[in-house]
Amino acid sequence: MTEPVAASGIASLAWLLLALPAFGAAVLLVGGKRTDKWGHLLGCATILGAFGYGLALFFSTLGLSPEERVQNVHLFNWIDVNALTVEFGLRIDPLSLTFVLLITGVGSLIHIYSIGYMAHEEGRRKFFAYLNLFVAAMLLLVLGNGFVTLYFGWEGVGLASYLLIGWYQYKPEAASAAKKAFLMNRVGDLGLAIAIFLMFNKLGTTQYTEVFSRVSEFSSAEVLAITLLLLLGACGKSGQFPLQAWLPDAMAGPTPVSALIHAATMVTAGVYLIARSNPLYNLSEDGRLVVMIIGGVTLLIGCIIGCAYDDFKKVLAYSTVSQIGYMILAVGLGPIGYALGIMHLLTHGFFKAGLFLGAGSVMHGMNDEGNIRRMGGLYKFLPITFVTWTLGYLALIGIPPFAGYFSKDAIIAAAFTGEGWRPWVFGGVALLGAALTAFYMTRLLILVFLGQPRWKDLKSEDGRDYHPHESPLSMTVPMIILAVGSVGGGWFLSSGGRLAGWLEPSLGELKEEHGVISHGMVGILTVVLAVVGAGLAFLLFGRGKQPVERPARVSFPVRAARADLYGNALNEALFARPGTWLTRALVFLDLKGVDGLVNGTAALLGGSSGRLRRLQTGFVRSYALSMLLGSIFVLGALLVVRFS
Amino acid sequence: MNLLVAQAQQIEAPQIDYGAIAPLLVVLGAACMSVLLEALLPKHQRWAVQLVLTLGTLVGATGALIFYATSERPAQGVATLAGAIAVDSPSLFLWATLLVLAFGSVLLIADRSVEPGGAFVAQAAIRPGTIQDRAQATKTGMQTEVFPLTLFALGGMMTFVASNDLLTMFVALEVLSLPLYLMCGLARRRRLLSQEAAVKYFLLGAFASAFFLYGVALLYGYAGSVKLSAIATAAAGTDRSDTLLFAGFGLLVVGLLFKAAVGPFHSWTPDVYQGAPTPVTAFMAACTKVAAFGGILRVLTVAFENTQWEWRGVLYGVAVVSMVIGAVLGLTQTDVKRMIAYSSVAHAGFLLIGSIALTPEGTAPGVSATLFYLLAYGFTTIAAFGIVSLVRNSDGEATHLSQWAGLAKRSPIVAGVFTFLLLALAGIPLTSGFIGKFVVFSAAIEAGLAPLVVIALVASAVAAFFYLRVIVLMYFSEPAPDGPTVTVPGAFTTIAITLGAVVTLVLGLWPTFVLDWAGTGTFLS
Amino acid sequence: MSLPAVDVLSQFLAQQPEPVQRVVDTVTTGEAIAFWVLGPLALAGALGMLFARNAVHSALWLVVTMLSLGVLYMIQQAPFLGFVQIIVYTGAIMMLFLFVLMMVGRDSSDSVVEVIRGQRLAAALLGIGFAVLMVGSVGRALTSVQSKGLAEANTTNGGNVGNIGTKLFTDYLFAFELTSALLITAALGAMILAFVGRDGKPARKTQKELVEERFQEGKRVGSIPGPGVFATANSVATPALLPDGSVSEESLFEVIEATDSSTLSDDLAEVAGTGHQPDSHALKGSES
Repeated sequence: MTEPVAASGIASLAWLLLALPAFGAAVLLVGGKRTDKWGHLLGCATILGAFGYGLALFFSTLGLSPEERVQNVHLFNWIDVNALTVEFGLRIDPLSLTFVLLITGVGSLIHIYSIGYMAHEEGRRKFFAYLNLFVAAMLLLVLGNGFVTLYFGWEGVGLASYLLIGWYQYKPEAASAAKKAFLMNRVGDLGLAIAIFLMFNKLGTTQYTEVFSRVSEFSSAEVLAITLLLLLGACGKSGQFPLQAWLPDAMAGPTPVSALIHAATMVTAGVYLIARSNPLYNLSEDGRLVVMIIGGVTLLIGCIIGCAYDDFKKVLAYSTVSQIGYMILAVGLGPIGYALGIMHLLTHGFFKAGLFLGAGSVMHGMNDEGNIRRMGGLYKFLPITFVTWTLGYLALIGIPPFAGYFSKDAIIAAAFTGEGWRPWVFGGVALLGAALTAFYMTRLLILVFLGQPRWKDLKSEDGRDYHPHESPLSMTVPMIILAVGSVGGGWFLSSGGRLAGWLEPSLGELKEEHGVISHGMVGILTVVLAVVGAGLAFLLFGRGKQPVERPARVSFPVRAARADLYGNALNEALFARPGTWLTRALVFLDLKGVDGLVNGTAALLGGSSGRLRRLQTGFVRSYALSMLLGSIFVLGALLVVRFS
Repeated sequence: MNLLVAQAQQIEAPQIDYGAIAPLLVVLGAACMSVLLEALLPKHQRWAVQLVLTLGTLVGATGALIFYATSERPAQGVATLAGAIAVDSPSLFLWATLLVLAFGSVLLIADRSVEPGGAFVAQAAIRPGTIQDRAQATKTGMQTEVFPLTLFALGGMMTFVASNDLLTMFVALEVLSLPLYLMCGLARRRRLLSQEAAVKYFLLGAFASAFFLYGVALLYGYAGSVKLSAIATAAAGTDRSDTLLFAGFGLLVVGLLFKAAVGPFHSWTPDVYQGAPTPVTAFMAACTKVAAFGGILRVLTVAFENTQWEWRGVLYGVAVVSMVIGAVLGLTQTDVKRMIAYSSVAHAGFLLIGSIALTPEGTAPGVSATLFYLLAYGFTTIAAFGIVSLVRNSDGEATHLSQWAGLAKRSPIVAGVFTFLLLALAGIPLTSGFIGKFVVFSAAIEAGLAPLVVIALVASAVAAFFYLRVIVLMYFSEPAPDGPTVTVPGAFTTIAITLGAVVTLVLGLWPTFVLDWAGTGTFLS
Repeated sequence: MSLPAVDVLSQFLAQQPEPVQRVVDTVTTGEAIAFWVLGPLALAGALGMLFARNAVHSALWLVVTMLSLGVLYMIQQAPFLGFVQIIVYTGAIMMLFLFVLMMVGRDSSDSVVEVIRGQRLAAALLGIGFAVLMVGSVGRALTSVQSKGLAEANTTNGGNVGNIGTKLFTDYLFAFELTSALLITAALGAMILAFVGRDGKPARKTQKELVEERFQEGKRVGSIPGPGVFATANSVATPALLPDGSVSEESLFEVIEATDSSTLSDDLAEVAGTGHQPDSHALKGSES
């Protein structure tokens, strides 16, 4: 770990990174309808400005020696009373700068893309305001110099994501998806909050610098608890098992949102959190093992469910779930994996955003149809989309020399290191995942772009014929740029350990260990398995005519996969049911709860206030009774304490 | 004559620090003046004069408070009026909180634009449902006695938080309660519900007062004095039977917890919050909570600090029960006012955490945190109830949740502000609610209450569900065709809501100033 | 100046009770007997108040409790408190209660049917539980309390009353003053809840106003003529006749005028004389 120095020069203006998008959001929200005409341009301009500043900052940091690359920008003290000091400041270091470039870079592209995509939407201005808000919160998350600042950004991105998922308010699934996302994130946030309070309890501070320099003060049990709680937070935000169910539902939002928030940036916050907390994770072997298990399980779940879905964006969402599983697996590996996880995060940010934008482009041209069984043969109609999408596809399944190959292959190779059962299990899972990824992505490619045009005789839900067409320039250009990234990004970042070296001040040195299988062997295996997976998909879906309706009689594995591997049922059984029971029990105990329920029902049935009254009168003696009971408990407990 | 003079014992009048208690005297004096005005002025002039007097009083009392607070004064505070009233830093903070919150509440009470003629009935003595009642429903007058009643209640609250002995505290408790019982029953609409709420509050309040008084009696039996400091001194010695102490403490605390609406002594809260006129509900929810927790803080830290190891576990349990009841039962509510009532029960649990955060070394990190929380929560609540009063249909306020569906489409600004306030209640960052929870939980952790903080975090996560339900309902549901309309508020309500929302935001962004001020001193012991 | 009367008065006012020379902490036999008589009596009164069905009986039971307490205070060297208890509570407040009860009607009573299942059982159990808890713990603890005794307070500095007065104006000055706020609030509350202002009722005018109004409206000032009384008919429908023999319109009842004429044909015929032979003074209604 490199100790931070006070920021100087251009870095001292780092607050601009937050202020620019926040300013855009504020103007758009406050300005109202007056900003309709130019609001989207302002949104793009502020993000582009932030990107430009980020680039300048990046290059100026590159010019510094590695010891000076961690800088601290003190802004003000948020809370400063007696024992409690919470500093509000920014930490400019290679890790946060990497994220800044990813967020503002991909963010700019997606902002530009949205101009075309949202052109027909009424509240486009508000959409840009929310997007700006998201970027500001996300930047706060990665730039904050303490866990509390991180928590602010963490809640902020959750809120923005909630607003954007529920963008199509009239769709019931959008509303329920937004709610689900918010609630599952709350479960994760709870873990993060408790972890922060634990640190605060022990050290009296939550600033990164102090926490990381004093990690040795924690007992091993405390470290384990904190790492697991942070992991819970990461699971909620990044859609990891067992909190993965909200992410596919979140695809009910507009496609640019899916691309930016639910593929490239926000969902990777969990990976950021674990990588940022690396001094803590370095101390706890068990904590890292749990991280790896979660990553491995999620990786497989995502792949398997991805094979069964027919919704374009949901397949991509499960693919995101599984790719983040890879990243979590990587950061769980510890010093040999942190940088690899971040590298995969970056390449994934590029190609997955590109894939989503491609999906959006297809849907844009197909009357917002999302069912891949109603597509097919679209390569003729959307040539640019097809080419860029295919490049992203090749990157994702890990075909050299595309980006995904470099990053994923490195993770798989790293997973094969260690002793005993671990390398075999985690490495095997990672390899199997690569094959499955190739399988479902190829299925997607075939059903959407190749094969028979099944949409010819069909009409969309609103009764129109399909007239697939290429998207406008504002949408294709970002896709092309992202495709370039997905082609060359992996090689660029990995050659000569460029990224790992850059990140060293933040994450420590990237250690290399020899795995149970040699690195070259892993590379070959990965490619072979990917080709096998893809070939299998060609055999299954590439020949003959695919049915438009999805087959109802299917084997158990497919049924299970279609039911999200019963993830929702699990959540239901673990959280919702006990919650309902607890509520019922309490309601039973508390007469007034019954009262409230009955009142509600009565009011729903159109009961008059007279009826309400009759139900309520007479209960005042029950209230008195409950108070008496409470007093007896208080009194009894006090006396028991006294006499015991 | 000489004999008479010689015989009559000259008693020494107690010292009175008029500067210190000036705010209190201003409020109580103005309350009496206000009663006189009620008797002397013709009906049509009363509203305007009473309003000017009341607001003027609040401003004047705040001015006197600021003058005293900034002047030279003993750092640890003074006990004046023969030690009955302790004016120390927490007292001054609580007084200021009460005065500014009362200012917001009075604006809501005085408003006549939302409901023509105000939220209060013109003639409370007319029986509901009679011909005369229907006739007066069309008139616009209001029972202007609410202004003196508000001032009396406020005076009682200010005395309550500063009273240094249990007898003064008891009288103050009654002075603050009695006007509230009356005000609860004065709603213009749904009068039966309102009167029922008043009777319930009165009966249960009397019940709780009996507990309080019983506790005072036992504590007097234990310490031979009702002074808080004397109880603390007595508890420090070991030669007495402390059964009396703990039995007295238990009963006393039941009375206090009732006022603060802490579960399981919360049962009156939903009914009364629902039935009372909304401005009064706002006043009760904000100011009564401040007063009750001010009293609890003082009693716990001054009189019972030495014995904390015996009672802390018990109040620990009470806090858990309160949070669980508030968070879980809030989920089943279908009425906005009842929902906020249960949320206030959950918040009372959080506040209780801060109140019992005492360290073995004798410092009370929870005091300043709780004071901050009270201020933040009070403003948010007043603004929230202000919003509730705006959503109306032909029967008055439309408080059923189903009527709030799709509100954002009808009135995006009102829905937006309400969303912000709900987020503050849920404790989302950048609102005062977050900072409040943060400082309270930090203090609790400092005092070694980590498990309680975990439970509190879980409870606040659960409570976030029902706030979210309202937000979802407002934004993502189709409005009902015969749904309520959103009244455009007049100046008073607008100011009150704006004040609440702005303070909620400002305290979320720059809490340091208020936190500093809340932490300047400790209770005088 | 020193008037003899003033001296007498001042001597009277300034007289001190004889110092009581006995040990404070002991309870004499008489006191014990009085306690064991009055205590159960007070308790019985309280229970009686709770369980009496008739409100008046309830109030009277309460009187028993208050009287017993008053006497207990006196025995425990607090004569002022004892008398206040009897004069204020038993004398004034309870009598007011009884007045109100009588006004409301002593027969009016609330329904005592319990509709909440288990409420009474639970209330009884919890009540007894609370009592056991309090008696069990506090009862034991009270034996170790050092009683204070009022001997000193009753003998020095103006005695019992003087000392209470001193306390009220020194130690408890503020609580005492604050009570006035309570009383004002109570009075205000009573006004709000019970007093109906004039604008709340339908306007009731004075006699004078009514007369003036009638003259101003130009309505008839005197009374309306009654029905005619004839040997042939005593129906109220019979019109009165003016001196010229014509029918006085004012004597006709609107109700009867509006009644279907067929139902009145017999009366009409009788009055009109069409049922008989007409004589020279034939009666003819202008209509009907």
